[in-house]
Amino acid sequence: MAVILIGLVIGLPWLGAVVIWRTRDDVPRIQHTLAVAFSIAAGVASLALIPFASAQTAISIPMGRYFGSLTFTADGLAVTLTAIACVIGSLAVVFSVDYMQGEEQLKRYYSFVLLFIGAMTGLLLSGNLLFMFFFWEITALCSYALISFYNDDPKAVAGGIKALIITQIGGVGLLAGALTAYAALGSYQVSDLLAKAEIIPASLLTVIAFGFLLAAAAKSAQFPFHTWLPDAMEAPTPISALIHAATMVNAGVYLLARFYPAFEHVPGWTMSVLVVGLVTAFIAAVSALIATDLKRTLAYSTVSQLGYMVYAIGAGGVFASQFHLFSHAVFKALLFLAAGTVIHSVGTRDMRRMGALGGKMPFVRNVFIVGALALAGVPILNGFWSKELILEVGLEHSPIWAYGLMLLGAGLTAFYTFRMVWLVFFGTERDHLHVHSAGSAMKVALGILAVGTFITWLFFSGLNGLLSTTLPFHEIEHETLLEMITVICSTPATWFALLVVALGAGISWMRMRGFQLFGEGWLNPLVKTSFGFDSLNRIIAKGINKLAGQLSVTQTGILSWNVVGILGAFLAVLIFLVWST
Amino acid sequence: MNPTLFPWVIAVPLGVSPFVYLAGRLGSHKAELNGRSFLVRGLALLTMLVTWVLFALSWMEFTSQKATLLFHLGAIWLNADGVTFLLAAMVLGLGTFVVLFSGPYIAGEVGEEKYYAMLLAIVGIMVGLGSARDLFNLWMWFEAMAVSSYLLVAFYRERPTSLEAGMKYLVQSATGSVLVLLGIALVLGNVGTLDMDQIRSAAVSSTSLALSLAGALFVIGFGVKVAFVPLHTWLPDAHSQAPSGISAMLSGVVIEAGLIAMLRALSTLGGFSVSWGTLLLAFGALNMFFGNLMALRQTQIKRMLAYSSLSHIGYILIGLGIALSNGNPAGAQGAAFHLFNHMIMKGLAFLAVGALMFALLDRNGIQRPLVVNDLAGAARKYPLAALALSIALLALGGLPPLAGFMSKWQIFVAGFQGSNPWLMGLVIFAAINSVLSLAYYAPIVNMLYRRNMGEVVQGGASIPVAMSIPLVIFTLAIVAIGLMPSLMNWLTEPAAQALLVMFGK
Repeated sequence: MAVILIGLVIGLPWLGAVVIWRTRDDVPRIQHTLAVAFSIAAGVASLALIPFASAQTAISIPMGRYFGSLTFTADGLAVTLTAIACVIGSLAVVFSVDYMQGEEQLKRYYSFVLLFIGAMTGLLLSGNLLFMFFFWEITALCSYALISFYNDDPKAVAGGIKALIITQIGGVGLLAGALTAYAALGSYQVSDLLAKAEIIPASLLTVIAFGFLLAAAAKSAQFPFHTWLPDAMEAPTPISALIHAATMVNAGVYLLARFYPAFEHVPGWTMSVLVVGLVTAFIAAVSALIATDLKRTLAYSTVSQLGYMVYAIGAGGVFASQFHLFSHAVFKALLFLAAGTVIHSVGTRDMRRMGALGGKMPFVRNVFIVGALALAGVPILNGFWSKELILEVGLEHSPIWAYGLMLLGAGLTAFYTFRMVWLVFFGTERDHLHVHSAGSAMKVALGILAVGTFITWLFFSGLNGLLSTTLPFHEIEHETLLEMITVICSTPATWFALLVVALGAGISWMRMRGFQLFGEGWLNPLVKTSFGFDSLNRIIAKGINKLAGQLSVTQTGILSWNVVGILGAFLAVLIFLVWST
Repeated sequence: MNPTLFPWVIAVPLGVSPFVYLAGRLGSHKAELNGRSFLVRGLALLTMLVTWVLFALSWMEFTSQKATLLFHLGAIWLNADGVTFLLAAMVLGLGTFVVLFSGPYIAGEVGEEKYYAMLLAIVGIMVGLGSARDLFNLWMWFEAMAVSSYLLVAFYRERPTSLEAGMKYLVQSATGSVLVLLGIALVLGNVGTLDMDQIRSAAVSSTSLALSLAGALFVIGFGVKVAFVPLHTWLPDAHSQAPSGISAMLSGVVIEAGLIAMLRALSTLGGFSVSWGTLLLAFGALNMFFGNLMALRQTQIKRMLAYSSLSHIGYILIGLGIALSNGNPAGAQGAAFHLFNHMIMKGLAFLAVGALMFALLDRNGIQRPLVVNDLAGAARKYPLAALALSIALLALGGLPPLAGFMSKWQIFVAGFQGSNPWLMGLVIFAAINSVLSLAYYAPIVNMLYRRNMGEVVQGGASIPVAMSIPLVIFTLAIVAIGLMPSLMNWLTEPAAQALLVMFGK
């Protein structure tokens, strides 16, 4: 049964992508309907797969001597993330029916969304390193195609290329790691790498571990690859919700979580992971403090929360990171879709032009506030429990300065979240914006996610049971919901965090009302260049272009010089051959 | 030694070629323009199909005998091993579809009958090149291929740019051929025979400097045709000025035939010097990097694709270099696989660009190169051609689930087996180059799918069916191979084995 469901969960979206590509452009209704149908079917299949989760390899198809076997393993980690990807995917598609109403080239949009969903589930379920890389690359292609969907807009095109190049460079890390593992073990199987990590020579294992970290950091927009996600906000908002909040960016966190048992003893690895997560969480939170574009603020917030997840893995809390991944996917998708509703309605992304929209869009305001409270870590929403779990792990297993900075980050999160809510929905109206109400498809998606934000933490026991029983290498402790609640409510980490959150929100509220406690002018240049890394990107890109331009002198167009080239090369080869014998 | 059908695979296209020319010339007095064109096209296509049947039959002989097929044309002995069959499959595959594609493309042009005659001739010649058993014979087929390709490159003989490109190609190719001839003379003088097997066994124990010199001459002499950097300068001009079907042939098979000729010649000296592998790796790295950087700044699409061919030759050389350095079969098979895939991908890219050029420019009588901006919004009017071009470009960029990913992967695997840090570093360099290539492929795909059609696209005519058929078939092939890489094992494994045996590994 698992075999059939795995086939459906990858095959249905891909079939849908091909079917939609063949539709005619003049009947968009069919395209919307097909997309919704296929994505909901995939969502149902992914939920149906959960009871069948097991550590056994479900499917194995030999692909040839150098390609290993195409295997799929539906263990707890894979099925949870698959369910998240497919369910939120279907909600994003439902939302798109209203959001993309009247847009042209819909079939390109839906085909790539469905191709993405299939590729993402393939990535998560893959038990073969080569095919993990295979699906990884396909998700990068889809991300590129969807970011630059509005391809007449140069900003969108630039954002797409930037995302593609940066995530692909990171992908080289995954490539190198997979190849090294194959060279050392003779197998591409994930389970082999997890089981036999100790027998791999230390130098090779270090290559694999840091290669994977590189790939994960690039995919999840972690330091120092954090520059692409804010620019990726040029994508249509359902894409930002699906790919750049709830699914694709989680692939990096997934990679680290999946291979943690293999790499935890590599010297310096866990500390590197911890530091990467820490720095990212912090600088992204700082960047969100002064962002004026609503989606960019949410993008920085996503990067920051992913940093929390990576930090948790570095501190040894693999389960805590996955629990937060689950909560974050739900509330961040909610926030993005709600933001999308606002943006679609008023026609701008600039928060400085918004204000007092709450009265005109009460439903959206309410669901947005729910998401914002979860993001800030306010009890009893899902974000609170998962963030506290991470902070608790951090307090116990990471250096105190690291914990302190993450705690501060929680305060910053509260600050920028409150600021965002206030600027958009409260305060005074700063511009005369015409508001039209949200469509019913949008409301359905938002409503479901809002309910989810309240209740997903109740699945703690189920999730814990699933992961602890089907992940033989990870040694995850069994913990019930009640135990978790007791721990969270009694640990000092929680009280510190709540204090910090209250402080953050409070200071933000004071600022919004006009009391300036500190100036922000000095932050602007730092954030604009993503703490220097965007400048670095620009320098590299310019350098390569310049080099390419300078090389064109070699194509002189003069025949004599061409022949000189031939004879010169001959001399060089001759010298080399004589010298090497 | 059993009689075999393989010599017919060489003889049929070569033999029919002059008749195609005659049919075209004789017909021109009586029949109308269209009639003559169809006669010539049809004859050429029929010949290719017959050659396919012969190829299939000789393939079955090859697999049942499990040994190299030996045969002779007159007093010259030839053989057909795995490498021969790989090259033959590539040449026939691309050649057939180029003949079909060129139908509407070349219809009514001055010299149409010469085009098909030369195209058939070059197909036969390249298969012959793959079968050579002695050095001089190899050189002869190589020269014949060069001469036929000069005529095809400079086909538009009224255009000065076309003639210039053909001239440069001729002079540089001739320089290379002279170097090869000098090398052959040196080998003959040193070893006393031209037969490749005999040279191989003699060279193992030789330490003569003359053989080093000969090796250098072979590498550079053949290397001009294979477009090693810095011998490549003829390539961008030739590819952009030739008719699109010929550009496809050049990038897809002619360069590769040159590579196989070089490998054959070099393999005779294989036991003599182990530096061949290192040399190929060095050229491979140079080609990859240079090809990518030069393509980055191009706005003319055919020139961009020409530079892209440089970088793909680089990947193939890396695979071969790894195979020769440590006898790794993965490297040899990866290189063979990428040879084949590159033929399909670059062939499709040039054919798709050719189809778009035909519809947008030629049909409207505009004679200038196609630039990236011309393609704005082309997908709306030409969905098939745009999809075909996009898939070809993304496959060339090494993205899954397309063919290029799988063959590049196989080469990368070879680099990591053996855990040599230099080779591993080279593979990483190759992977980064692959990412870099997306920087010039992706903008074209983007431009194709723009919402607003540019002026050029709006004024474009339709693409004939004969041009669309090759696009469909190659696109399907790229996707199929990308999803099931073992599809081509039947062809690449014998080729890889033959390659390693040639070099004595």
